[in-house]
Amino acid sequence: MSGPISRRVVLSGLAATGAVLAGCSRLDDRTPFRQILGFSDAFTLRAQRVLLARRPLVREYSLSQLSGTFPVNGTNMPPGDAYRRLLDGEFRDWRLKVHGLVNRPLSLSLAQLQDMPSRTQITMHNCDEGWNAIGQWTGVPLGHVLSLAGLRPEARFVVFHCLDRISMDGNYYYESLDLLDAIHPQTLLAYGMNGKPLPIGHGAPLRLRIELQIGYKNAKFVDRIEVVDRLDSIGKGRGGWWEDFDRAVWYAGQ
Amino acid sequence: MKTNQNEQVDYRHPLPVRLWHWANAAAVLVLLLTGLLIFDIHPHLYWGEAGQEGEGAFVSFSGQHLDQKVPRTELQIGSGRWNTTGKLGSTLEDGFGGRYLLVASPPEDWQFGATRGWHFAFAWLLGLSLPLYAVYLLASRRLDRTLLPTRGELRPRSMAHELWEHLRLRRARGEAARHYNSLQKLTYLLVIFVLIPGMVLSGLAMSNTLSAAWPALSELFGGHQTARSIHFITAMLLVAFVLVHVFQVFVAGFVNLMRSMITGRFVVERESAP
Repeated sequence: MSGPISRRVVLSGLAATGAVLAGCSRLDDRTPFRQILGFSDAFTLRAQRVLLARRPLVREYSLSQLSGTFPVNGTNMPPGDAYRRLLDGEFRDWRLKVHGLVNRPLSLSLAQLQDMPSRTQITMHNCDEGWNAIGQWTGVPLGHVLSLAGLRPEARFVVFHCLDRISMDGNYYYESLDLLDAIHPQTLLAYGMNGKPLPIGHGAPLRLRIELQIGYKNAKFVDRIEVVDRLDSIGKGRGGWWEDFDRAVWYAGQ
Repeated sequence: MKTNQNEQVDYRHPLPVRLWHWANAAAVLVLLLTGLLIFDIHPHLYWGEAGQEGEGAFVSFSGQHLDQKVPRTELQIGSGRWNTTGKLGSTLEDGFGGRYLLVASPPEDWQFGATRGWHFAFAWLLGLSLPLYAVYLLASRRLDRTLLPTRGELRPRSMAHELWEHLRLRRARGEAARHYNSLQKLTYLLVIFVLIPGMVLSGLAMSNTLSAAWPALSELFGGHQTARSIHFITAMLLVAFVLVHVFQVFVAGFVNLMRSMITGRFVVERESAP
């Protein structure tokens, strides 16, 4: 730092903001402040569901608007021999499992998924960090796969269990959607990006595209899909890896 | 109501005004701090629809934590580039070359995901209280009576006089202290009808759901990243307002103004007071 005045200004600014934020971080572990956050999240979900009552599609772009750079975030390359072996076999041994509250549990190869009705869309990916990029995605609508498996009446949420880990000692990545977002026509199990097979960094062989929500909801490296009635038994019960370990909001349509 | 010969007490701020003022003060404080933490993760601003990795950014803040443990920060605006080390921003050692911090330093146990949760909770407070307040201002005729400048106040000579009084930090007395002056009125109108709505709308324009339900909103701003840049610039304008506003509270009489915004009662000093 250059001078005592600027240093003092910077330090006092840091101390003051730190104190307020420390207050917030302590408060959000206690009721009723946790309830305020919970109430706010629930309010956001309800308000946005009113706006989505007519089931609008997100905007789709033209090929000329594709971003030259589409950043890779989260895991670049799932560590471990198991993924390495799948990759070496060009994912011939990979299977997407669909299980839980379904009438017909499925085990689908990549070729089987690619033979299903497909959708290609050019959409905006908004990361909660603040950057965004436009990419083209090709895949099977998730609703189609769920209808093949047949949802049981008590089904409420769809959980995606993945092959990657954000931190090596941590859990494998997982995310979840409710059924309304799961059956949205632009919610895809994508195996293609920008006209090519899905690159490793973007979640090969299969990733979720949930265009109504932001980046971290779009689980990569999907291994199995579990249909559940409650999220309590998944991870620490908040519905996803970032939700459980970073207090991210579960419904992220904002 | 009279207290003594040199003073008169006005009931200046009705309850809805005070409630709205303090709700906004809390909302702006939390939104600013959480907003800065969110900005720190990607401290680049772009125009248009998409922007990533600082490519084509018109504003980039950056910081490095070099091997010598010396933080170095830079600010780039357009084609200009300045070394801002020690003047603006700092870096936190994070093992990846340093994390940039514009202002706020989060505590060690801070979880980034929670930042957005707090941001949205207080965004609801800001966004929902504003239309309620606008209805109150209209229905109570307070907009006409206290905020809209008169034709006389808008004359250049009158505005110039008011500006000169402000620059000399003169405290209004007597009848002049009983109502807002023209600069104050225009500033409050700007904050209530331009800056806060601009914050709320540019924030909503970044929402995935809103871009599906109301595509016109994002288009109105000229794209997602433009909306984000306007969100940041408008926030800085609000910060400038808050700094001047708080400074003026000290100039015009801290105790009297704080009392009037807490209890509603404002003491007017007679012009001829000795």
